[in-house]
Amino acid sequence: MNRLLAAALTVCALLASAPAMMRAQNATAMLDQGVRAYNVREYDGGVWLLRRALAAEGANALGSTDAARALMYLTATEVARNQRDSALAAARRLVVLDARYRPDPRVFPPDVLAVYQEARRSAPTVSIRALGDTAIKPGTESFIVRLGATTSPELVANVTTADGRLLRTLYQGSFRDSIDVRWNGLDASGNAPPDGRYAIVVAPSARERRAGGEDWSLRLPLELARPTVDTMPLPPAPPDSLLKPERGDMSGAMHALIPGVAAGAAIMLLPQVVSSADHASNARLIVGGTVAIAGVAAFFSHHPGQRIPENTEYNRNLKENWRRNVAEVSRRNADRVRGVKLIIRPGAPSLMTGETP
Amino acid sequence: MNRSLAVLLVVLTMLPAAARAQDEHRLQYTIGLMASQQIVQSRVEPSNNRLTGPILGFEGALISDRLIVRVRYGEGRVQPREGPDNNARDVVEGEALVGFHAVPWLTLWGGPSARAYTIGNTNQRWLIWTARATGRGTLVPGRMQSFVELWGAFTGSVGDPALPAGGRGFNGGLEVKLGRTTPLWSRLSYKMESTHASGLRETVESLTLSLIYGLPR
Repeated sequence: MNRLLAAALTVCALLASAPAMMRAQNATAMLDQGVRAYNVREYDGGVWLLRRALAAEGANALGSTDAARALMYLTATEVARNQRDSALAAARRLVVLDARYRPDPRVFPPDVLAVYQEARRSAPTVSIRALGDTAIKPGTESFIVRLGATTSPELVANVTTADGRLLRTLYQGSFRDSIDVRWNGLDASGNAPPDGRYAIVVAPSARERRAGGEDWSLRLPLELARPTVDTMPLPPAPPDSLLKPERGDMSGAMHALIPGVAAGAAIMLLPQVVSSADHASNARLIVGGTVAIAGVAAFFSHHPGQRIPENTEYNRNLKENWRRNVAEVSRRNADRVRGVKLIIRPGAPSLMTGETP
Repeated sequence: MNRSLAVLLVVLTMLPAAARAQDEHRLQYTIGLMASQQIVQSRVEPSNNRLTGPILGFEGALISDRLIVRVRYGEGRVQPREGPDNNARDVVEGEALVGFHAVPWLTLWGGPSARAYTIGNTNQRWLIWTARATGRGTLVPGRMQSFVELWGAFTGSVGDPALPAGGRGFNGGLEVKLGRTTPLWSRLSYKMESTHASGLRETVESLTLSLIYGLPR
């Protein structure tokens, strides 16, 4: 009774301080505390700590060695709590994570070792292991996972989306001992998938299942992310104000003609108004005629109503230059996007069997 | 002629200052030289004389957004061609006007215009206060423009003792920029002015060629 009370108090204390611990401790520290809790027989608190340590993701996640240690202590703790099914599930996860793991008989009691051996017998003889967060250039570099097996099962390894849709088949066949499966970060069509959650799912091939093999699948969750890329904005299309008229402007031509002709006529006629009694010289005709002719010349310089090939050519060159600039900027942006590495963060692998609800 | 040379020197020394002011875009200046051939019909009842001769001069303008001040000065000598008077005349003429840009193409002016003859030992001075309107039209933007200026006298005087005088006139022509990059403009213009007083009438025609620094307004 005293032991139950102490465990309850420990759990309550852990729960009360959980948010602070979450912030202050990383997964490795929680693993160490979980191990200490097992050693001092604080099993309920230990289970909580070990599960939290195993649930950590991303940069805070346990490495494969620590994950194996956490799963072994979780198995032992669940055995101590008389939770045999939970202990067996933890042991199976451990077998999947590292098929070659062997618990230390000096540390763990025989009943824990027995559960582990049972898990080894019932679990598939396949393990999956990733090296950790990896940055690859899609299409040219690869993310590697190592599949291990103690027999030679015929397997298929696929990359799937979070909802199980097939993205690409990475491997199909059988192997002995281990094999490195590589994914170049592209789907079956050769396109890089968007950021998000994916998984590498390893399962017996259809032929293996038809032959009476067990129905199971190993799932290695992946998180894909790309750092933000600075791309250049596309140049705007040339505004109409920069384009020259491709046909002669009749209105502009008239605006040039009228001041010329009106001023010329005024110069020729106004002497009669200013001094009708005097005979004006021919100088007025020279100047007035010159102004009028200049107005007519200005009128025709606007090419009223006619096509202006040089303006058409100018506009075409302007638009061509803009299109070339757009294509160049687009190409540079695409190069930058292509040059960005895809960050792949593997999570903890999980085993789904026919027994799993 | 020494006076003409002095005026020319003054104009040439003002050119750099005008260029600096143009660059600073505060006020704008134009300054120019002009050469005219004048035909003067001078009527002193009942005789009528016709004289011709060259006039040299300068002009300058100070231009702000809406206001403009314009000064013109010219002098020369006209020789008798027809009529009973055989004396050549030294001519000095000038004007000082203040203008207002009513609309971009129309400027309204007011100010005095003077013209003086020296015939032997006697002088004849015409002083006319004028109101003017100048219209400009663009033929080729930034390259070529035409203009017509009309004026009428609202008061004036001539001689000593002074007789009341009046008159009217016009000036019109073409202004062409001499190059894409140069600020120099040339102007070909024709002017006719008729002033009158009791028993007197002067009609002056001028064919003028000008060289102007800055956009003429």
